[in-house]
Amino acid sequence: MARINDVGGVQNFGAIDISDDAEPFHADWEARVVGLVNALRAQGIFNTNEFRDAIESMPPAEYLSTSYYERWFLAVRTLLEQKGVIRPGELDD
Amino acid sequence: MSGDHGDATIAQRVRRLETLLEEKGVLSGARLDEIIDASLSGASPANGARVVARAWTDAEFRARLLADGTAAVRELGFMEGSYQRLRVVENTETTHNVIVCTLCSCYPLRLLGPSPSWYKSEAYRSRVVREPRAVLAEFGVELAAGTEITVWDSSAETRYMVLPRRPEGTDGLGEDQLAALVTRNALIGTAAV
Amino acid sequence: MTDRFPPGTPVRTFPHDPPHHTRLPRYARGKRGVVVEPEGPAELADVSAQGRGDAPVEQIYAVRFAARDLWGEGDHHVVLDLWESYLEAYEEDAADER
Repeated sequence: MARINDVGGVQNFGAIDISDDAEPFHADWEARVVGLVNALRAQGIFNTNEFRDAIESMPPAEYLSTSYYERWFLAVRTLLEQKGVIRPGELDD
Repeated sequence: MSGDHGDATIAQRVRRLETLLEEKGVLSGARLDEIIDASLSGASPANGARVVARAWTDAEFRARLLADGTAAVRELGFMEGSYQRLRVVENTETTHNVIVCTLCSCYPLRLLGPSPSWYKSEAYRSRVVREPRAVLAEFGVELAAGTEITVWDSSAETRYMVLPRRPEGTDGLGEDQLAALVTRNALIGTAAV
Repeated sequence: MTDRFPPGTPVRTFPHDPPHHTRLPRYARGKRGVVVEPEGPAELADVSAQGRGDAPVEQIYAVRFAARDLWGEGDHHVVLDLWESYLEAYEEDAADER
């Protein structure tokens, strides 16, 4: 079944903004999310394929309306809930 | 479930997750800081540029680079643990290469530095496999009509880097000067050099 | 491990459409291409993504597709790295769609 991340050949995503980013991360939290993912992956909490799967499994409207690193954050949260590391909803209690 | 957290910003939620994980003993704050530093440290397009400059000036290195990119870049001290294979693809007078990951954003970070937002964008990922000539023109790369374009979609464990063509009139330049000419975009294929 | 598809083998990707994670993009499903070379074996992403630790290791092949075969037009080529189970040998005299 088609997933929203599978965009090769899909039309109407608009012009490519070819400008360079001034910084790799637009905010500190983005760097912390990358660190979080790398740390959890290094500890074997999940592997890269599980992580990609979690990002891709997002409802399309959510995928398309969230920024790249926000998707990472949402995917990590989902994986941690699925694996019982945190309780569903615990993050937002 | 998501998107309905008007009160808590994403930054607050990230911090909250870190705190939760520390409380549960899954993570320590200090370790996280080390990992953040390690993720990016040493990752720079200057690395890829050095590899290119060496290939331009040393024909045997160039041959080794094209035959086994992983081993060749290791000769220059660039180790990459996070993927299985580096493949270097050369631009020639009649062929031009451009790299993408249509499914996500796979990319040889250590050699190219952090990936630009455009590389991760749906707009680039959707269009470059379908109409590369038009996309390259938007980046300012005009190719001769007969040029064959190959788009490499990094769909598995191999990461790709383009070996751009050495510009004309650079015979007198040393390796450092040559490396300074090479842009990150050229290593992806969205610039000539 | 003997590679099932040596360089130069014409192959076709399965018209696979799984409900799970896969690394065969939609645009390249059920398409004809030619094997460039093996990329090295790795755990099949589709199974690894399920987190049970039981993913089979398969050879991955760089497969080159003509844009014309992917989209009916275009003069460029696309190379994808595809796990062996995504591919079958393509026989020229098999029943063809067009």
